[in-house]
Amino acid sequence: MLHSLEIDKVTKVFGDNVAVDKISANIPTGSIYGFLGPNGAGKTTTIRMIMSILYPDAGSIKLFGSLTPEQCKDRLGYLPEEKGLYKKMKTIELITYFGRLKGIPGSLARSKALQLLQQFGLGSCADLRCDALSKGMGQKVQIIATLLHEPELVILDEPFSGLDPINVEVVRDIILDLKRAGKTVIFSTHVMEQAEQICDYILLINNGKKILDGSLAEVKKCGHQTISLEYEGSGEVLRNLPGVTRVNDMGKAAELSLQPDADPQSILTRIVPELTLRSFTVNDPSLHEIFVRSVGDIDETVPQDHGPES
Amino acid sequence: MNRALLVAQREFMENIRTRGFWIGILMMPVMLILIGLIPIIVESTREAKKFAVIDHSGWLLKTVQQQIASTDMMFYLREPVDANSRTPLDALKKALADLPDEKLQVISQYLVTTDASHSLDELDTFGAPQLATSVRRQIEDQRIDVNRWWQSLSIEDRSALSSGISTNSFLIDNNFSNEVEILNEAIHREDLFAYFIIGKDPVESSEGSRYISNNLTDRDLLNWFSNIVTRQIRQVRLQQENMDPVVASWINQAIVFDGLTISKDGSVEAVDSQDVVRQWAPVVFVYFLWISILINSQMLLTNTIEEKSNKLIEVLLSSISPIALMAGKIMGIAATGLTIIFSWGIMIFGFFVILPQLAGLKLPFNLSEVAADPWFLGSFLVYFLLGYLLYAAILVGLGSVCNNLKEAQNLMLPVQLVQMLPILLMVPIGRDPNGTLAQVLSYVPPLTPFVMMNRAAAPPTTTEYVLTTLLLLVSIVAALWVAAKIFRIGILLTGKPPGFLEILRWLKAPVTQSNLPVRSADTSAL
Repeated sequence: MLHSLEIDKVTKVFGDNVAVDKISANIPTGSIYGFLGPNGAGKTTTIRMIMSILYPDAGSIKLFGSLTPEQCKDRLGYLPEEKGLYKKMKTIELITYFGRLKGIPGSLARSKALQLLQQFGLGSCADLRCDALSKGMGQKVQIIATLLHEPELVILDEPFSGLDPINVEVVRDIILDLKRAGKTVIFSTHVMEQAEQICDYILLINNGKKILDGSLAEVKKCGHQTISLEYEGSGEVLRNLPGVTRVNDMGKAAELSLQPDADPQSILTRIVPELTLRSFTVNDPSLHEIFVRSVGDIDETVPQDHGPES
Repeated sequence: MNRALLVAQREFMENIRTRGFWIGILMMPVMLILIGLIPIIVESTREAKKFAVIDHSGWLLKTVQQQIASTDMMFYLREPVDANSRTPLDALKKALADLPDEKLQVISQYLVTTDASHSLDELDTFGAPQLATSVRRQIEDQRIDVNRWWQSLSIEDRSALSSGISTNSFLIDNNFSNEVEILNEAIHREDLFAYFIIGKDPVESSEGSRYISNNLTDRDLLNWFSNIVTRQIRQVRLQQENMDPVVASWINQAIVFDGLTISKDGSVEAVDSQDVVRQWAPVVFVYFLWISILINSQMLLTNTIEEKSNKLIEVLLSSISPIALMAGKIMGIAATGLTIIFSWGIMIFGFFVILPQLAGLKLPFNLSEVAADPWFLGSFLVYFLLGYLLYAAILVGLGSVCNNLKEAQNLMLPVQLVQMLPILLMVPIGRDPNGTLAQVLSYVPPLTPFVMMNRAAAPPTTTEYVLTTLLLLVSIVAALWVAAKIFRIGILLTGKPPGFLEILRWLKAPVTQSNLPVRSADTSAL
């Protein structure tokens, strides 16, 4: 498999704090790759090293075969977590400027900027000053600026944070379009559900250390299935079911965590006579669960910040 | 480097759209107009001080008034002939243009009086150059006409003849009867500025002489009047002692020192007003230099902090290296500053060279030559660039570690104290441009551009120029190096600005391996 990016035992230390600790990962070309982990896990630091904004203290980062990050700044697109625009610049000027900084000639950058603005439904905003844009529009403008030079590898740091549901969808479509166009996309998030929906591969980080990585399917194999059910009647039978490790009974609904070898079918037959079931669903393991479990194995002090699902 | 130019270009384009840029450009014409208008306004609003005189001697006031009139006449005779006006003396004035002061005084005295006690014979006591007989006859013929004309002039018309004429400044007011109570009341009501009492026997002593005013700090009137009175009294005393009037006037003659200066090539030159202007012109240049450097380096600081607080810095650094970014910013703002300076230059040129030519005016002191002096302009340009670079390096380093302007202001304090020095030193150095203070301060790099500009009129030696410039260049390179090291780390930092020791540690870090701040408590920055 062709890899756009190979990270090899990369370490970054800030004083006494090991922000990134011997992280390795290979990012296949043309994939959507998620960097997952709670806030402060080291995602942004890793990304900054890929963008040659910071330099690793140890380990190596290779892009497109054998290039260093500094050698291919122009082939990378980066949307930082904290988004900012030059408030006084016109939208079109700002995008053109960022395009030119990536080596696109001025007139070409301008025409492409106009084209992209139209494509994103912002054609009428070209001559607006950036401080006149709404947050969602600003986010789109920033994404356009990130993509104008058609980067082969796009890195988006927390692209969904602070967006309303409609704009979340817009950004997700952009990421999927990039994949369709054969680009490689890395994005970081602390919201596991988002990653689950679109990632081909993921890398789980906590406290600067890699917890696990691989394709979504591979990672999910490490986890455990769950059953969610809605019922009426006494939930007594839900206790002491074979193969169930944990029960979260909410009175009219419940969630059961299963052992790896447990059989959902036999559980269903056990409970049907005792309850009036209104729904019964077998869930693949969620990344959130896998993450909580994996972190728990390594370190009992699990960070409590897991976004909306917690 | 290409990318740095892009940054510079954007920086420039953004800056020229700011209000500050246009204020900077328009400051010059506003100041030029103010410089031109203020003296006119001051002059037009100034009123002649009214005063009264109680003369107990009975004779002194009359001679004093005669003396004042003849001095006024002399000022008028010295005034160039005005093409538009017709006065009885126009032809005479040309003939008298080159006459020395003491002779002109005799003629003036002769013209403003009608009695026989004054004659033109006194002229002979002063030796060469002799007045041509025809001119002398002319004066004698015109005496009555001139006198009648002079007496017929209103105070306003007479004042308008020359700015030196006394009624522009001081006016004897005869509307009050000479009683102390009435005069006191007039002073109290501010109808009078002051009044004098001349003693019974002023020739004998000052006894009984008084000056009464509610404003004893403004002594112009007192000095002027007592000078005239003293001169009259001296003359009377000399006469009393049977002194020959010629000897007397010779005794009375003051010694006048001609001001001379040594020029660059070592020859002795006469000082004229232009040299005085020239000597002080650098002060004006220093002032503008100071403003330009201050405005532009401040602009750099503000822009750096804006980019940082806007979170733009990461996007920029993903495209270009921090050093190129910093270089671009410094260049962009230098271009802004140079634009302002060049537009100033054009305006000064227009104001002092083109405009007077169009209007057919001749400026006093030949200001245009001084303002457009290539030595001053060259020094200004060079010292602007060097000074800006030094302060730019300091401020861009400083700005990169601050998250907002408030933080920057705290850190700026020591820099601002240094920046104030050139203004405080402007006058002392201008007065003694080659003194020890000036020489020593020329070697303090943050002050070098200002001090050396300040000294440009009495130019420092070539050795000094070379040494101070070398020192300044070395400081600039060092400051830029330090700034670059701080910038590339500080610009990504959020949270509390780093301490001095922490910054020292950054400086030791090798350039390819950026070590971010050693501050374990502040991981939110990462």
